[in-house]
Amino acid sequence: MSVIHLVVKEQPSVPLEAECISPDSFAELSNDEIRALRVYHGKRQCRVDDFFDVDGEKSDHIQIHGDVGRVRWLGRAMTRGTLQIYGDVGMHLGAYMKNGRIEVHGNAGDWIGAEMKNGFVHIHGDAGGQIGAAYRGSLRGMKNGTIIVDGTAGIEVGMRMRRGTIVVGGKVRDFAGLQMKGGTLVLLGGAEIRTGAWMTRGTIISLKPIQLMPTFRTSGPMNPMFMNVYARQLGKLGIDLPFDRRSGSYIRHCGDMSIPGKGELFVWQS
Amino acid sequence: MKITGGKVYDPANGINGEVRDLHIVDGKFADNANGATGGREIDATGMIVFPGGVDVHTHVAGGSINFARAMTPEDHRRTQAFIRTQSRRSGLGGMAPTTFATGYLYAGMGFTTVNEAAVPALSARHTHEELSDIPIVDKSSCVLMANNEIMLDLMERGEYDRARDIVAWYVWAAKSYGVKAVNPGGVAAWKYGHDAKGMSTAIPGYNKLTPGDVVTQLARIIDDLGLPHPIHLHCNNLGAPGNVATTLETMKHLEGSRAHIAHMQYHAYGGDDWSTMRSESAQLADYFNAHPNMTTDAGAVLFGDTVTITADGPWQHLLYKLTGRKWGNLDVENETGCGIVPYTYKPSNLVNAVQWAVGLELLLLINDPWRVFLSTDHPNGACFWRYPEIIHLLMSNDFRQACMKKLTPAIKGKITLPEITREYTLYEIATIMSAGPARALGLRQKGNLGVGCDADVVIYEEDKDIERMFGHPRYVLKGGQVVIEEGDIRETPEGREFITRPSYNPDTEAFLKPIFEDCYTMSFENYPVEMERIEHPTMMDCVDVD
Amino acid sequence: MYWGGNPAECHPRHFTKYTLMQKSKFLPRGRKDRTMALVDIRATKSAKAADIFLQVRPGKDFEMITILRAMVKGESIPESQIAETGLSLETLEDLVARMKAAKFGAIFFGMGLSMTRGKHMNSAALLTLAAEMNAFTKFVAMPMRGHGNVTGADVIMRWQTGYPFGISFNRGYPRYNPGEFSTVDVLVRGDCDAAFIIGADPGATMPQPAIDHLAAIPTICLDPHVTHTSKLAKVHITTAPAGIAAPGTGYRMDEIPLPLKPALNSPYPSDEEVVRRINQAIAKMPDWMPEGEPPMVLSQV
Repeated sequence: MSVIHLVVKEQPSVPLEAECISPDSFAELSNDEIRALRVYHGKRQCRVDDFFDVDGEKSDHIQIHGDVGRVRWLGRAMTRGTLQIYGDVGMHLGAYMKNGRIEVHGNAGDWIGAEMKNGFVHIHGDAGGQIGAAYRGSLRGMKNGTIIVDGTAGIEVGMRMRRGTIVVGGKVRDFAGLQMKGGTLVLLGGAEIRTGAWMTRGTIISLKPIQLMPTFRTSGPMNPMFMNVYARQLGKLGIDLPFDRRSGSYIRHCGDMSIPGKGELFVWQS
Repeated sequence: MKITGGKVYDPANGINGEVRDLHIVDGKFADNANGATGGREIDATGMIVFPGGVDVHTHVAGGSINFARAMTPEDHRRTQAFIRTQSRRSGLGGMAPTTFATGYLYAGMGFTTVNEAAVPALSARHTHEELSDIPIVDKSSCVLMANNEIMLDLMERGEYDRARDIVAWYVWAAKSYGVKAVNPGGVAAWKYGHDAKGMSTAIPGYNKLTPGDVVTQLARIIDDLGLPHPIHLHCNNLGAPGNVATTLETMKHLEGSRAHIAHMQYHAYGGDDWSTMRSESAQLADYFNAHPNMTTDAGAVLFGDTVTITADGPWQHLLYKLTGRKWGNLDVENETGCGIVPYTYKPSNLVNAVQWAVGLELLLLINDPWRVFLSTDHPNGACFWRYPEIIHLLMSNDFRQACMKKLTPAIKGKITLPEITREYTLYEIATIMSAGPARALGLRQKGNLGVGCDADVVIYEEDKDIERMFGHPRYVLKGGQVVIEEGDIRETPEGREFITRPSYNPDTEAFLKPIFEDCYTMSFENYPVEMERIEHPTMMDCVDVD
Repeated sequence: MYWGGNPAECHPRHFTKYTLMQKSKFLPRGRKDRTMALVDIRATKSAKAADIFLQVRPGKDFEMITILRAMVKGESIPESQIAETGLSLETLEDLVARMKAAKFGAIFFGMGLSMTRGKHMNSAALLTLAAEMNAFTKFVAMPMRGHGNVTGADVIMRWQTGYPFGISFNRGYPRYNPGEFSTVDVLVRGDCDAAFIIGADPGATMPQPAIDHLAAIPTICLDPHVTHTSKLAKVHITTAPAGIAAPGTGYRMDEIPLPLKPALNSPYPSDEEVVRRINQAIAKMPDWMPEGEPPMVLSQV
């Protein structure tokens, strides 16, 4: 398997928009053609090789080495291949993506996997806000796919998500699952406030006690069957979701009554 | 400048596809008897020459469309972007295009004059600021009057003459061209969550004044004032199943006056509820055909996403409840209001399918193309830049029949479109998109390729693909200037604004001032829009109406 | 209803001119025909004008509004949950009953709501509550803007670009993403390499990292006065104060445009004139966008 390596040689002084850095656009291009692709350094139109050393060609496997924390829109709308980043990465990573895998060995910015249709994103460090969310004004966020963040995440994680799974290892900030319409949001490290606010459907699972919105109704402890299925699926991704009634149970809350919504929020109690 | 060899369609002068040369001097068509024409020659041999399009009813500027822009960032992201160049401003197309883009999109489709159909006098200053940011096209505007409480109070007391003076004062204060009436009485009632649905039932808050009285008196006032454009009426009970009765009753209240019925499609329904809603366009067209005092525009619907904007606040609240989507509401003190709801018309939805058919039926069943005009009530039924699709539907029965196959099966027996075989000719298209609306607006220099008229011309390459032909003219000239050539925007001149100044009794201001200060939050002196705020104003004279 | 705002001190004409005192056709007794509720975290001077004062616990506005949304729809909320907001079930039931009984309800919300934790979602909550109240009676909601003519900037940006603020033109056409392109976020992250500031004083109000960045880059400031921003700017151009010595249009909070007629003369040019002249100077320089290679449009997929 050939891999295209991009190594950061010059830090952008203002944000760099590089939606061209994606397996779809690199797959058929020669090394020279990749180097010449257009990126936007602020309003200036530049070439990929103004900022990166490029090694390799014609592959849908890309590795980026170095700090790309100021580089936005990497892997935008990608449908295939892999994108591995060794360093921090900027906003809109994998936004609108349809398929393929993105892995980040570092921290990521806001809007990771926003409005994605499918695919897999794994952030090994911390991530920003609006993961898998709907862009401002859109009615629906991610449609399917999986986003895993090992570290913490910012506000509005999974905002208006429709389907798919988001797992966050560390604590998330306010409004996780805001106006959620479906899908699953797993919070291994708990959340700050307003989790599940205004959700209409979907499932939020928290392994840590969380502060609930006053408009959620508590319906007592249970160990629903589907948790086993979730646990098995997430287990394959190295995530340990408890479901055994001998070790504890989930308290089920439903809401948000202000909508009124049919969302479910499970909080694990060992 | 000369345009030679083209097949000219100029309904205002009865020219139907004859090969003629057009001569342009100083932005107007000229007689070439003295051979004065110099300058560029456009060889239009084999091409089709129309007068520039005129949109009689559109919402492109002012508080409401601007609210709609704010409400729909998701549409801006997916729509056509206009990237700035040295000569062109940036902007966005879509459901509620930005001002610069509005001018480029209209001109790009061969339209050179638009009538902004709903201006609240209180925020007219805003509307004019936006209109001056719409390049290329010429503009007129209609001020909203039918829910102005000062006028309604006068009508309630039977003070007709005073009411007429007040209307005239408002037209001039707003620097408007005509008068728009939206859901007479209903928008005023909406301030308290009510509506006015019956033409003969007193408006909530009034003892005896009915919507029918307002319609009759306001139409008469506008004729008495001699405004070049008659009452521009959005009837009560818009969009509701069974509303054809209201529309017919409204038309009876208009007998003896000139009137323009806006977006008739939304007022031509039978049935008792959403599941039994059906087309009553045949009944409406029959009445309309027999009453030459009226003109109308289709307000046609096309399937797809749009945003609905209307002063009809109560209707918009209903639509919000039906769709569960976003809703914006504006109340404009004691004058009017506005509601905004994004909406998607779907062929699988019975109501939408009926609406789609009704718009086309009215265009096809009203037999005089001088009285029914191309419109979508932009952006309500569809965006204006989709007009070429409607032209295609009108010119091709086969295409209509094919489109009908996509409608919900529940449509069976609810529309008459399947039985209509009429196909529009190019001459008729030129009438409904240009000559007719120009005449209805009283803009004698528009929609007319005759000597002395404004040299607004659109030249099409003849093409079997009707949508492509009308969507991508080869040349568009505005005031003799080539603004579109081979699909590119070449020049972006500023447009003019048409304004009328109807006369009113000189004591009107003395009468109005104390009332005004009692019920407005703005000072009387600051209220009228200053003339110097209008870019390129063109005064239009009032006319004698028998 | 006023929420998180203190009009008695911040918008002193609001009560008398717009909301409380005016007599009208349908409310002939003026103040007597109206009910005013104030929701805030403390009893400000505006509380004196209110019929009902509801003291919400700081940071609980979003919860309180969401509870109201549920109660308006007939959902019951446990008293213990309501107590978390600092209010009682009885108080909120009374408020909901009054809201439903009103003929026309208007909610004005201030920065106590829109700029505290939850920010835009707090505003969204109140706007949604107002929208949903229309199932029962007429209700509207409107923000109380903080500075002069913020609304005007919003209105004009919207008609020219489709968006009210938080806009980037780097691709040659307007793009919008608050949080990414909004001024404070751009400055805090250090995303810009120049700043041009008209009629605002971010140097006094923005967080320290934003101020530090403004001081580090070429900042140009147009202002009639010496301000915190003008002091850290590389260039300060003194302009005539708009509405006092320069004419124009001010948009009121309800988006009604008012003509501004100058009362005084100023030796300084207006903001408009300065911007116009800067534009003319820029027009003489080579255009930044390469000929024939328009930027790619980053549209929704």
